[in-house]
Amino acid sequence: MGLDSLPPKVLYQGFDGGGFSFLKNIVEESARYVLRSCHPPITIPAWLVMFSGVSPGELGIYGFRHRKPGFFDYYIVNSSYVKVPTLWEEASRRGLRIGLYGVPPTYPPKPVNGVLVTDFTTPGPDKPYTFPPWLRRELERISGFTIFDIVYRSEDKERVARDLFRMLENHLVQVEYLAKRRRWDLFIYVEIAVDRAHHAFWRYFDKEHPRYEYHPVYSNVIPEVYRRLDRWFERLFKEVLKNSIVVVASDHGVKAMKGAFTINQWLAEQGYLKLRAEKDKVKPGTELREDMVDWSSTIAWGWGGYYSRIFINLKGREKHGVVEPKYYEDTVEQLRRDIMKIRGPCGEQWRNAVYRPDELYPVVRGDAPDLMVYLDDLSWRPAGTIGWPSNYLSENDRGPDDAVHDWYGVFAVYDPEGTVEKGDRGLIEISYVRKLLEELLYG
Amino acid sequence: MRMSDKVQISIARELYEKAKRFVEEQGGFSSVEELVEFLLREVLSEEESSYTMSKEDEEKVKERLRALGYI
Repeated sequence: MGLDSLPPKVLYQGFDGGGFSFLKNIVEESARYVLRSCHPPITIPAWLVMFSGVSPGELGIYGFRHRKPGFFDYYIVNSSYVKVPTLWEEASRRGLRIGLYGVPPTYPPKPVNGVLVTDFTTPGPDKPYTFPPWLRRELERISGFTIFDIVYRSEDKERVARDLFRMLENHLVQVEYLAKRRRWDLFIYVEIAVDRAHHAFWRYFDKEHPRYEYHPVYSNVIPEVYRRLDRWFERLFKEVLKNSIVVVASDHGVKAMKGAFTINQWLAEQGYLKLRAEKDKVKPGTELREDMVDWSSTIAWGWGGYYSRIFINLKGREKHGVVEPKYYEDTVEQLRRDIMKIRGPCGEQWRNAVYRPDELYPVVRGDAPDLMVYLDDLSWRPAGTIGWPSNYLSENDRGPDDAVHDWYGVFAVYDPEGTVEKGDRGLIEISYVRKLLEELLYG
Repeated sequence: MRMSDKVQISIARELYEKAKRFVEEQGGFSSVEELVEFLLREVLSEEESSYTMSKEDEEKVKERLRALGYI
């Protein structure tokens, strides 16, 4: 059971607002690892790293979006970009029966030896989102249309909470149905509602959040999500999982978002990025477009997200490249030094980190950025938009968001036969999980 | 849909019996006719294939990911 973005302090230290009860007992009897996520610690590629056993560099997947060299626009990765065999593909090949639900990115669905329901990147319930294709008819009959995601960056928190619970119930009904009605040897279920609850309601839940606020309804949303999962899991466990090895895992953790930092505005101030329009003539929150950039005087530009990707306007690679290849190394290193010096809004020291992909991965495939940037150890979210009066934003430039990702998630293994030694087992790298799961599956 | 919008086709009885059993056991379809229509629609979908993503779908996903703040 994958609980997207669940941090160790929630599952292991009881910081769950009273939400987990049965699961807490299971975890108590489990081998408990603190899972160290990948670079970058983002849903895509993190789940894929877990189930492929290789790094984002080897997968050639560094986030949801990527850019072909020479193009400004981006493309979105989907299951067809995954070229490394996954845990379930290998298990299928060995003849094991598979149940797969909500694992990102599995849309468009590929055949498995069993059943597959795709994830939150699915364009809509009118698309072929299951394997076998007719499975979707069966699911819609028992639960109505499949809900893949919700729009959670909204001020209308009551609507967000309503949608969140509706989506969670929709998933729970479907997973329970499949787990009970289908024959399976390996079932993987990833629940994205946990991550959505964290992003939308973390500041009402985490008392250490800089903008913590108690609210009689909103403060109970995250514990209620945990509670519903807990009750559902208890019922399922008692009915069908009693003799199964149960693994509870997350892809990364979560922590309070301190604010957002406008990376492209900063690049412009530092002379790396030249905009055609004057700064005060651009509306706050404007997306950086290709025609806004004076490419003849631009050295680098960036993307926002939970981490920032920086691209060098390299001659011979980019359409209007100006940085001579012989100056590439110096440019990258200068930019790295400058980013490392970025401080907080009150001049406070930040724990920034800047990596070249080849420093992180044994192989760099696909369309990697020139630099990968984490601001203040992920606490400040890089914002790609421009036109803001300050480089420091108290909110996400994409709408309300209470949380950013954190490096550490969970990985707990419960074996009813006691073959797995219970207790705290220290750190596990996310890329090592597949090997461990295969040991459990094949002995 | 009017009846005149429908046509009759013939399939092997053995296959029909199998399909009938499938409908009864699987539960997602109310008749063999519904199953056959669904499968033909899937096979003859205008998209390149069930296992690739069209440009239009990619744009939909981009829009969603933007609304979700991922990109």
